[in-house]
Amino acid sequence: MSAISAAQPEQMSVAAKSAAADSIHQDTTAKLFLLSSITYFFIVGVIALMIAAKFVWPGLMGNSPFLTYGRLRPLHVNGMLFGWLLAADMGLTYYLVPRLCGVKLWSEKLGIATAVLWNGIILGAVVTLLAGMNQGFEYGELILPLDVAVVVAWVMFGTNIFMTIATRKYEQMYVSLWYTMGCILWTAFVYLTGNFAVLFTSGVNQANLNWMYVHNAVGLIFTPIGLSLAYYFIPKSANAPLHSHKLSMVGFWSLAFVYVWTGAHHMIHGPISQWLQTIAIVFSVMLIIPVWAVVYNFFATMKGQWHQMRDNIPLKFLMSGVVFYLLTCFQGPMHSLRSVNAIVSKTDWIPGHAHMAVLGAFSFFAIAGAYYILPRLYRTKLYSDALANWSYWLFMIGGLGFFVTLWLGGLWQGWQWNNPAIPFIDTVVALTPVWIVRFFSGILMFGGIAAFLYNVMATVIGAKDNPQAAA
Amino acid sequence: MSSKADKSAIFFVIAALFLFFVGGTLTTAVAPLVDKSWTKPFENNDPAKGPTGKLRPYTPQELKGRQIYTREGCWYCHTQQTRTLLADTKRSGWRGVDSPISTPDEFVYDDPHMFGTKRTGPDLSRVGGKYDSQWHRTHFRNPRDLVPGSIMPPFPWIANNEAEFQALTAYLQTLGRAKNWRPENDFEK
Repeated sequence: MSAISAAQPEQMSVAAKSAAADSIHQDTTAKLFLLSSITYFFIVGVIALMIAAKFVWPGLMGNSPFLTYGRLRPLHVNGMLFGWLLAADMGLTYYLVPRLCGVKLWSEKLGIATAVLWNGIILGAVVTLLAGMNQGFEYGELILPLDVAVVVAWVMFGTNIFMTIATRKYEQMYVSLWYTMGCILWTAFVYLTGNFAVLFTSGVNQANLNWMYVHNAVGLIFTPIGLSLAYYFIPKSANAPLHSHKLSMVGFWSLAFVYVWTGAHHMIHGPISQWLQTIAIVFSVMLIIPVWAVVYNFFATMKGQWHQMRDNIPLKFLMSGVVFYLLTCFQGPMHSLRSVNAIVSKTDWIPGHAHMAVLGAFSFFAIAGAYYILPRLYRTKLYSDALANWSYWLFMIGGLGFFVTLWLGGLWQGWQWNNPAIPFIDTVVALTPVWIVRFFSGILMFGGIAAFLYNVMATVIGAKDNPQAAA
Repeated sequence: MSSKADKSAIFFVIAALFLFFVGGTLTTAVAPLVDKSWTKPFENNDPAKGPTGKLRPYTPQELKGRQIYTREGCWYCHTQQTRTLLADTKRSGWRGVDSPISTPDEFVYDDPHMFGTKRTGPDLSRVGGKYDSQWHRTHFRNPRDLVPGSIMPPFPWIANNEAEFQALTAYLQTLGRAKNWRPENDFEK
């Protein structure tokens, strides 16, 4: 803890106390969320490979309605977003919030109930999506009863975290706590907009609400909870104080104000009011402020510490994630410019961009967090550092293969579309090599997931035989 | 302000929600109040103002077709918007006639909306009346029989289910038809 708070003399005492008090934490909720989410990461990874394969071999498994692209894609998206990433983020939050507050989690029982409910939601999502029960909203596919269950689970999560923060020992709240609280509050409203408010509207009005949700699912759910992890784990893993508390405030409060305005940038050149498109573009460009403030802070924290990247595996994931975060958040504002948008919008560039955000940045933060806390949760050593290193390189090479080929392919596709003399089907056929590379990059990434899952499970199972005092 | 939010959780909550609601309200709740075309169905009887026509609500059969379109996730790969790009108006056009751009008033009855974000297959905003039922049946059974190189999945369970096939085709034939943009109305059935 001293690492994080060295910049804040007031919190120095926090550090010493909480290290001694580490044994007060039960962490059952954190364990349940983490282990189930990593399992979903693996299972949904199989779905991901299936849909990537369908781009290359479109007839594959084609005669079964349950295994068709249109039903597997929402399962992939929802499974990765809510089954893996959000659940992993929640598990890590259940770990770090009590530690930053110097108290036990407010209610471990409530936490366990939340984990059980969350798993029920994911299983319900698998069954209903394969059955074609799809509401027709991107990221909001799940049927109404499941939406209600998500809201209940989120309230349970939020109550537990806020009550823990309310009973905290230390007055000053570290940056990670702001981002966690921001995430819980904003998600509540963003989720209600995207899953309930849309039901009372139609047409462009509905699309505008839908994309407010889609955009902010990334911007106000995964970004703040992911940055909360990065703000905690980067100083901890590097054992270096955070560069600037002031700069982290700039990053947080500008994010709070700027992000929500940008939903309409999903319809640039589309049938939505031009003035609203312009507002979305202006605020999209302003997103550079919260992003660069955060990224500068992380890079400056690493000053003099870069040599640790050689063999510190959580740090490798974290700092690669920061670079991907910087890149993806530079692409975003650029895509919103009308001239760039006319080329890249609706092309394969976009999944390249989206995967860099969700996999390259935020999943990397969550994976780093898992590698960091698992040995501490189970008071043991990680099963294999070499295997963890393998998982890093498989994710990295597979990820880059995926992102870069889709950008190039998407750019090429966009130029072709803008020449109406080229028949549409020719622009489809032209992308076959891109989709082949994407499929094989996917196999590498899946190898990364498999190595990660195996390492985690072996650590957990071997924990009893290999006890060691937690660091 | 920010240093106060550092120490007081209550102050923090109020500030974080206030900043969020400024943009949140202005871009979602206020926007449709300002632009009425989002909620007023398209109708134009004056050729001087662009294509004439009138948007009508979907029939029960077309709505059923729409449900199938939603269920099968057609919207993950097909957008429904002819954007304000020259290439889009050419690609959505037919037999040498450019398509008019999509406007908000053409989608008032769309629930859920089907604008889409990814164009793996061609845009369908003006596909209504371009291909006849026989073409669609063959295409759903195996798209590659009609379009070599296509990567669209086959949908035999729709092609072989008469009620579902009729409903889905009825829906597809409505797409983009509110505006009478084709000379002599040469629409296929």
